[in-house]
Amino acid sequence: MIQRPSRLQRPNAQIALGGLTGIAALTSVLIIVLMLVFLAIYAYPAIRFNGLGFFSGTIWNIGNQYGSGSVTRNGFSAEPGAVFGAVVFIFGSVATSSLAMIIAVPFSIMVAMALVYRVHPRIRPIANALVELMAGVPSVVYGLWGMVVLVPLIARLPGAGSGNGLLAATIILALMVTPIMVATIRDVVLAQSATIFEASMALGGTSWQAVTRAVLPSVRGGVVASVLLAFGRALGETMAVLMVCGSAINSLPQNIYQPVNTIAAVIVSQLESALTDSSGMAQRSLAELAVVLFLITLAVNIIARVALHGADRSEGQ
Amino acid sequence: MRKLSITALALGAALLCTPLAQAANARLLETGSSLLYPLMNLWVADYQKGHGVQITTQSTGSGTGISQAISGVAQIGASDAYMSDGQMKGTPMLNIPLAISAQQINYNLPGLNNTHLHLSGPVIAGIYSGQIKFWDDAKIKALNKNFASKLPHHEIVAVHRSDGSGDTFIFSQYLSFSTPSWKNGPGYGTTISWPSVSNAVGANGNPGMVQTCQSTKYCIAYIGVSFLNETNKAGLGYAALLNRSGNFVLPTAATISAAAKALGSKTPRDERISLVFAPGAQSYPIINYEYAIVNPKQADPSTRAALKEFLSWTVDAKGGQQERFLSSVHFLPLPAAIVKLSKAQIDKIE
Repeated sequence: MIQRPSRLQRPNAQIALGGLTGIAALTSVLIIVLMLVFLAIYAYPAIRFNGLGFFSGTIWNIGNQYGSGSVTRNGFSAEPGAVFGAVVFIFGSVATSSLAMIIAVPFSIMVAMALVYRVHPRIRPIANALVELMAGVPSVVYGLWGMVVLVPLIARLPGAGSGNGLLAATIILALMVTPIMVATIRDVVLAQSATIFEASMALGGTSWQAVTRAVLPSVRGGVVASVLLAFGRALGETMAVLMVCGSAINSLPQNIYQPVNTIAAVIVSQLESALTDSSGMAQRSLAELAVVLFLITLAVNIIARVALHGADRSEGQ
Repeated sequence: MRKLSITALALGAALLCTPLAQAANARLLETGSSLLYPLMNLWVADYQKGHGVQITTQSTGSGTGISQAISGVAQIGASDAYMSDGQMKGTPMLNIPLAISAQQINYNLPGLNNTHLHLSGPVIAGIYSGQIKFWDDAKIKALNKNFASKLPHHEIVAVHRSDGSGDTFIFSQYLSFSTPSWKNGPGYGTTISWPSVSNAVGANGNPGMVQTCQSTKYCIAYIGVSFLNETNKAGLGYAALLNRSGNFVLPTAATISAAAKALGSKTPRDERISLVFAPGAQSYPIINYEYAIVNPKQADPSTRAALKEFLSWTVDAKGGQQERFLSSVHFLPLPAAIVKLSKAQIDKIE
């Protein structure tokens, strides 16, 4: 008896399914591209007005709203005295995220390894659930905890000032990215066969040697990818950072206690002020900041994907 | 005959009720100044008891008040700052004074919080621009010979508003009008480019300023007078400021009223005027009109009626200008001449 192909195997259905999924994939790419394009178009006057000084200037000044006249550069004008320099914010984003990763990465790897190899099997499901719970806590909750608990704690340290600053922002970000990294690294390690660990122990190594010399190198690609993804998340983190960073304008931090500002946080805190700029240049400069952040996180995510792809290929051996 | 009289009564009642019915279910949104917010809440709580309108109040900062009134999201944008010429050119709005308020300079100096330090515009400008770094700086000591030895050698933590703020507007006006280097530098506005000062902190809203200064020793902050009770409760001190005539004055009803009298007569028809750094021996240097920024073109008739009714009530001597509302926030009522100007602007809403 000749088997008739089922409904889903018929050529038309194949084409339809392929078409639908293709459109879905295309749409998600299209949305990102369109967002970037529209944002860039809106920011274009600011891009021309600010020029390269945007990436070298530390002063952010929307100009004298109550003065007369205007300042014009490259054909676009703003209120007198207006100058938009983004160094403080770009530095703040990169510094807080990098420092947070320096704290969080070793800690997360160790926690993940402990979850897989050390934690008692009975406690493991609870521990795993707790980690996933932490990853799901909204960032504003972290921010509020930071404001109420962390900042006063930091303020007690000698020379710490008000407590709002680089240290507080770094700690909050480290706390936020740790659960994500722990969960991802744990999954990557579990996906690897357990035999690498067992084999290493059988050869007479300690569990520390097994983890650092055998397991870690074998999941390197996955770990790198998860670190980069967490870095991208830290770069874009807005609310929690906004509440503890001290909202620095025009000044770079001289030590870890001084106020900082990140691109994401400054867009929120400066938006209402920018709306009072009747020339509109302040809003467009904030949009330019958003484009910069977009491109930075896009680059980080692309590198992460490439690392993951490379890892998949090399780990198949 | 009876049927006719009943019908006539019903018709008459319906006609009488129509203007009330227009305002009955209207909703108004007020947003903006955190300095005006406590008074607005007192007003709305009382007003809603006798009128069938629902008014929502929000404390978001004068900058937001102005921009949301312009965009039409809010019917009343509360602002301590009047609009700039550039903003007025974009969308002509009514800047309607509702009350007279003031601002104090608070500080958190252990041991000195129940004394009134003497501070001047140039000294405060020096602090906020980083030239005066320590509380025992010679310039501060020179103004406070009585406490010179008690001033600690500690870095000053200058707190400013990070949101678009009317308090920033009147504070920076005081600095601009009294200190030429500040006028040519950051100038004044609801948002200014604060000079880079180590340990300077930004806070959101007047409540944020109170909280930050309370938890940060050696801070200095500019806070609206409607929060004077809160700052006293928090144990913060407030300064006697040098006025234009060379006297150090505290924000009291007498000194605020003196400043208002000195400049009030110069108020133009559109009522956009600064009352900061007024002349007069007893004038307090940081006072301002609390403005309702309103779009003169209100499309919806019921909203328009409710809006005009509420605003007229707030500037009326038997309504919002009563002592029982203003005294708890340390505001002053509008002088009769200003009430007339405000009412004239309210009439322009169509």
